[in-house]
Amino acid sequence: MRAKTLLIATLILAGCAAAPNSATSPAEPPRLKAALEAESDGAKRYGRGDYAAAVRRFDEAARIYASIDDMPGAARNRLHLARSELAQGRAEAALLVLESADRGSDAGPTLDTLLLRAQAQLALDRHAAAQQSLAAASGQCAGACPQAASLHLLQARAALAANLAADALAHAEAALKLLQGKDEAAETGNAWRLIAAARLAGGDAGGALPAANAALEIDRQLALPEKIARDWLLIGDIRRKVGAGGTAAAYRRALDVANAAGLADLARQAKEALAANNEVLPERKP
Amino acid sequence: MSLLIQHDSDAAALRRGIHRFLFVAALATLALLAAIVVRQGLFRQTTTYSFVTDSAQDIVKGQAVRIAGFRVGAVADVSLKDDGQVVVTMEIDADHMRFVTYDARVELRKEGLVGSPTLEIVPGPDKSRLAAAQARLTFSRAEGLGALANQVRDEFVPILRDIKVITGVLADPQKGLPGTLAQVRASSEALNALLANSNRQVNGIGGAATRVLGKAEEDLSQLGQTLAAANQRLPGLIDRTQQVLDHVEKITAEAEISVPPALREGSAVAADVREIVSGARQAWPIRNFVDAPAPARLKMDSDLRGEAGRAR
Repeated sequence: MRAKTLLIATLILAGCAAAPNSATSPAEPPRLKAALEAESDGAKRYGRGDYAAAVRRFDEAARIYASIDDMPGAARNRLHLARSELAQGRAEAALLVLESADRGSDAGPTLDTLLLRAQAQLALDRHAAAQQSLAAASGQCAGACPQAASLHLLQARAALAANLAADALAHAEAALKLLQGKDEAAETGNAWRLIAAARLAGGDAGGALPAANAALEIDRQLALPEKIARDWLLIGDIRRKVGAGGTAAAYRRALDVANAAGLADLARQAKEALAANNEVLPERKP
Repeated sequence: MSLLIQHDSDAAALRRGIHRFLFVAALATLALLAAIVVRQGLFRQTTTYSFVTDSAQDIVKGQAVRIAGFRVGAVADVSLKDDGQVVVTMEIDADHMRFVTYDARVELRKEGLVGSPTLEIVPGPDKSRLAAAQARLTFSRAEGLGALANQVRDEFVPILRDIKVITGVLADPQKGLPGTLAQVRASSEALNALLANSNRQVNGIGGAATRVLGKAEEDLSQLGQTLAAANQRLPGLIDRTQQVLDHVEKITAEAEISVPPALREGSAVAADVREIVSGARQAWPIRNFVDAPAPARLKMDSDLRGEAGRAR
């Protein structure tokens, strides 16, 4: 006990003694360093799927950057913040964050801002507004910009929402081509999912199943419960359309994943799909 | 007749004596004159040097000229030029010319602070070249009493001004010594009051401690009685404990099912701890040793929730 107390006291003293020694400290000013740390911590939490904590950290980073008049840093963190809000399903909040990011920029919305805005608008079923955002984004991505694949995917989503299955398939396939050989697993999974959905919507259910399986495989590797559950729902829809067996099994897998991950909305969708498939769910024990 | 002859011989002897005396006297006079002339330096070889000064103050004709304190010559002439400058000519014994270098300077010094002024030839550092005859040397005056007094005055006047300011501040009734003394007096009175109050409280604590100790003694005696009672009832209590342990076994079995969710809650707690540690790292000096991370870059994901897959 005494040794432990001594050790703690020694550590405290060492820490206090080291405090004024700025010669060994890195060159960044303290507030900039705090902003970078908050941003980095937010990115770690985002990567772990802890989006609520990521939102707090990115918001803190954005405020620190703004306080030192580092507008690029503040804008970057607002985009991170909007992305985290979207990941939580809070599309309205994401749009508000993006609006504030626009107000802080003299040069108008950036391509990343436009893409995130389109994403939020699609999530809110504001298809016309999403089309406008995507048109503006296309204007900024005339050549081969780094976000071209994401732009194609969002255009595919917008086309699918407008029942333009052929356009959606073309955009999704173009995106998949752009993503080949790149370390963009999430976007590749999105592309396969969109291809599957577009083929199903276009009546090519047979071609949709392998694409949906490819998406499921990638999403499993990324360990993303929400996407996995949706992939199983899609697979169930495709199997039902094809008339092959295993439809109820796919919906049940979706239900199991949604229940395990606490995704109530997806669980409800899976139950509805099972009910539509005349499947009787066993009573769950409380 | 013989008397006359005797008289003539005495007179001749007297004349010869007078002649001899006159001759010796003339020789002595000549020797004296020669000595005087030699003494006055009429046959001495001299060299002339001069210097120019703004003022002839303390410089007079015939004034001694010294080298290293030895008299080597004198001021031969002091004359005023048309431009108001004063030219002083000195005659130096030729024997001492070897001490007068080309960069020698003439200083007007005083013997002591108030003694008679003398001219001192100070040889320059370069001893290899001597001054030519009739050379013009540089001149300077050693600082006398007046200069010294001016220097002392220049040094003392700022000090006196500072003393005046300091005494003014000290005398200030608000900020100066009187105000400070008043504050010290007030503080000491407050301290006295505080000490008196503390004294009363310590006395109160002492009384309370005595009462607590008395109460503790009573409690200890009651504890002794309780232990005796417990000793009587212990066998029955052990039986009861056995029953309780049976219950605990059941509870443990149920806990195997219920604890894992609790452990999952633990990960949430761990996340909070991470937040706390992160906060501590912000405030703790150790953060100075940690490099700041680079700006984060999140990977693009155009469908963060997989919503595009299935029509809603």
